[in-house]
Amino acid sequence: MTQFLTLLSVSHVVQGVIVGAVLAFLTAQLLMNVALNAVTTKVNGWSTTLKCGQPGNGLLLRAAYARTLPAVNVAQEAAYWTTTVDGAGRRLTGQREYVLHFPAGQLPPNDAFWSLTMNDVAGFMVSNPINRSSVGSTSGLAPNADGSVDIYIQRTPPAGHESNWLPAPAGAFKLMLRAYLPSRAILDGEYHVPPVIQS
Amino acid sequence: MNRLILKYAYPITFVILAILAWTVYRIFAGGTGIIGFVVVAVIIWGVGAFAFVYFWPRMTYSAFKRAVVRHGLGGGPIPINTLYATPTLSSPAASNASLLGTGTSDVLYVGGWLDLANGPLVLHVPDMAGRYYSVQFTDPSDGTDFAYVGKRTTGTEAGEYLIRGPHWKGTAPQGMPQIASPNTAALVVGRVFVESESDLPTAYALAQQIQLTPLMGSHR
Repeated sequence: MTQFLTLLSVSHVVQGVIVGAVLAFLTAQLLMNVALNAVTTKVNGWSTTLKCGQPGNGLLLRAAYARTLPAVNVAQEAAYWTTTVDGAGRRLTGQREYVLHFPAGQLPPNDAFWSLTMNDVAGFMVSNPINRSSVGSTSGLAPNADGSVDIYIQRTPPAGHESNWLPAPAGAFKLMLRAYLPSRAILDGEYHVPPVIQS
Repeated sequence: MNRLILKYAYPITFVILAILAWTVYRIFAGGTGIIGFVVVAVIIWGVGAFAFVYFWPRMTYSAFKRAVVRHGLGGGPIPINTLYATPTLSSPAASNASLLGTGTSDVLYVGGWLDLANGPLVLHVPDMAGRYYSVQFTDPSDGTDFAYVGKRTTGTEAGEYLIRGPHWKGTAPQGMPQIASPNTAALVVGRVFVESESDLPTAYALAQQIQLTPLMGSHR
């Protein structure tokens, strides 16, 4: 052990290997980020990518997807959007209150179901007092009189709108929207998720 | 651990770079062996960056294999060539250190790891009566979802599908659709839609009927 430490401190070759390996790791991360950004579209703060899991992806893209979206569906099966910012580009946090407003007929078009899930910034679900980590097509959202739908994203229950409440944690959070069996409009990039607006 | 790395990626990177900068500074300040250090570092950098990118999918999916075969999805280890259906929906309680923590609470997940070296398997799916479901097959060497059985691709009627590895030379039973796996190993992820709390038992019963059996009388 002592010999190894001595070797480590005096051998420039060993130090070269370590420095080279760390730089290689960081460079690989950087390249994967660049590759992923190139196939990610960002509209209203929502990021989405449609090439996940597809045959024919290049070396770099396969690595990037394995790192960020491993074992995720191809887009024809399910489309995913994530955001950590509101429509004005500010970080989402439980310190503020937000509304996600879908105009009439503008819910994510699909042939199966859609849902909006509350995650922490690392992508894991967070606990909340009413044990509701997502809202969506099966959660009984109440539409407004004009057919539009408002989802209230905040820490405390919105008075009179409890059915449309997605509880937020105290700190920063990430939202994930899923549409299973997405319609053409989504796959063609014509459908855009509305921005999350601070209320 | 993974969670901490994800959360503090930037500070961790900064600390690592600072240590590196200090090491390099010490070497240059020392004045000897600079050339050896630089040559080795640059070669390892170039080769290593390519290797990380090339092997990243394999590294990720071997972690999936460990997770499936050693830890399972809440019901203990899932033996190779069998499928396990989660009895409950993803929830914050199941989140910590669990693959399911990043999932959705709209579906029950089915998971398993295939090894097709000893012959093909037959996937059995029950009549889903129009219910959304999918069984996704992923190549662990590159992350390609090479096949789907489910509502979108094959409909929701009961069926049997032959899954064969790249080296199998046999013939499939008459009329049984074939799925050719590009790799001897494959990851299987199934998803069965759950309409509501009261629908959960029905959905779980169906998810449990998504099963694998060896092809009768098949040997390599």
